[in-house]
Amino acid sequence: MSACLEVERVDVFRGETRILWDISLRLEAGERVAILGSNGAGKSTLIAAITGALPFASGDIRFFGRSLRGRKAHEVSGMGIALVPEGRRVYRDMTVFENLEMGAYPKPARGRLRATLEEVFALFPKLAERRDQRAGTLSGGEQQMLAIGRALMGRPRLLLVDELSLGLAPLITRTIYQSLAGLDRELTILLVEQSIEQALHFSQRAYVLENGRIARSGPAAELLEDPAIRRAYLGL
Amino acid sequence: MLAISVMNGLVIGVIYALAALGVSLVVGIMNVINFAHGELYILAGYFSFLFASTLGMPFAPAMGLAVALVFLFGLLIERLLIRPTYGNDMYSLILTFILSIVLQNAFLLIFGPYPNKPPLWVRGASEIFGLFSYGNQRLAALVSGAALIALVFLVLQKTWFGRIIRATSQDRAMAEWNGVNTTRLNMLSFGLGCALAAAAGVILSPVFPVTPTAGVPIALTAFVVVVLGGMGSMWGCVVGGLLLGLVENLGAAFISSGYKNVFGFLILILVLLVRPSGLFGRAKL
Repeated sequence: MSACLEVERVDVFRGETRILWDISLRLEAGERVAILGSNGAGKSTLIAAITGALPFASGDIRFFGRSLRGRKAHEVSGMGIALVPEGRRVYRDMTVFENLEMGAYPKPARGRLRATLEEVFALFPKLAERRDQRAGTLSGGEQQMLAIGRALMGRPRLLLVDELSLGLAPLITRTIYQSLAGLDRELTILLVEQSIEQALHFSQRAYVLENGRIARSGPAAELLEDPAIRRAYLGL
Repeated sequence: MLAISVMNGLVIGVIYALAALGVSLVVGIMNVINFAHGELYILAGYFSFLFASTLGMPFAPAMGLAVALVFLFGLLIERLLIRPTYGNDMYSLILTFILSIVLQNAFLLIFGPYPNKPPLWVRGASEIFGLFSYGNQRLAALVSGAALIALVFLVLQKTWFGRIIRATSQDRAMAEWNGVNTTRLNMLSFGLGCALAAAAGVILSPVFPVTPTAGVPIALTAFVVVVLGGMGSMWGCVVGGLLLGLVENLGAAFISSGYKNVFGFLILILVLLVRPSGLFGRAKL
């Protein structure tokens, strides 16, 4: 197996404040991995560093062997990393269709817009029904589908999903996880989640982030059974 | 008199709308207010005067060249003055304010204080519905201004460039994650904002000649239109521009021409009292 994403001894600062300490993780191509952690553990900062929104101070991040050091967000997106951001961040005043078009903006994806659109509509038929509706008028679950659809429109090789379940009813979250599980097995998925149970059921492996450091890692099934984790994150 | 005032209001309203679209584009994408907007309008007027009257070019290429030069000048302003100030909106405000004063004085030095007027595109007047006679040049200004506004909307709605402009003005970071090079987009949209001011300038200068300081009221009105229509709303610019043009001209005709500018601000205050975010603005502002 070849590595899709390698994060090697990365430190990240926001201004003067150090947020991430010596983070290392590795995703094989086609793997589904979760990063768990409570609020403020540094999950969103890690996402920002991978996607080029925030520079990393030391260490390196490699995507299929190519270093992401110094690359801006728009370049990273062009390399095949797509983000479903926390809070969904759909373009509220644009239609569902236009939001999806924006996802296909990176050059390699643009030429295959029609074909990808069919795939996304097949995955989320709701989006096809709402095609010409303004995205701001969609329900939370539909907006999450749109945010995922928009990311998929870029034909990424790595999909980052930040806080999928945030603000969604459990039933809707489960439906969306099922859709994600049905995606092409070649697509690598990195989930970042606060509510860990569904994330662990979806993933093969997980890392636990605490106070900006990787505190634990292991197969998802193992972590799910771990009493310390169950106590800390599930309140059991 | 009513009909003529309405026509005058529409002509100037279209020009206000064009100038305001330029301001709105730049504010929406970059959150920068270009205080030299009016001077770029004037610069284009001088350019078309220079090319058409002094160098004897036909009016259409003269205008096109004038707008193109101001567009390039806009790119240069963004690269040299605005880009180093990202993250601090106050600096760009002060810098463009200084630029406007520098340009005004440069105009004074080069062209003198006298009004300069590019040649008319068309001469004579037409009977409108057999009711009144109206200058052909003003009619041409109205039609070309309206056509240009329609073109702007077409580009915004139908092209990739328009889509990334709308997306970036809604959520800049997300647009970057979608692959938009916002540094390049900033430069382009600043240049386009200047080009829209320039387009307004070349269209209106055959009717209202340019002087070194004639851009000040145009820019102020454009800012009023942007606030009136609602920050970031392109439709707001069009409706606000036409509304302001009509109110000014009707007020001047039927109340007093001395208070022409007061009417505009009165409308602004009234609208903001009822709708603080402007006619088409979103509530968050």
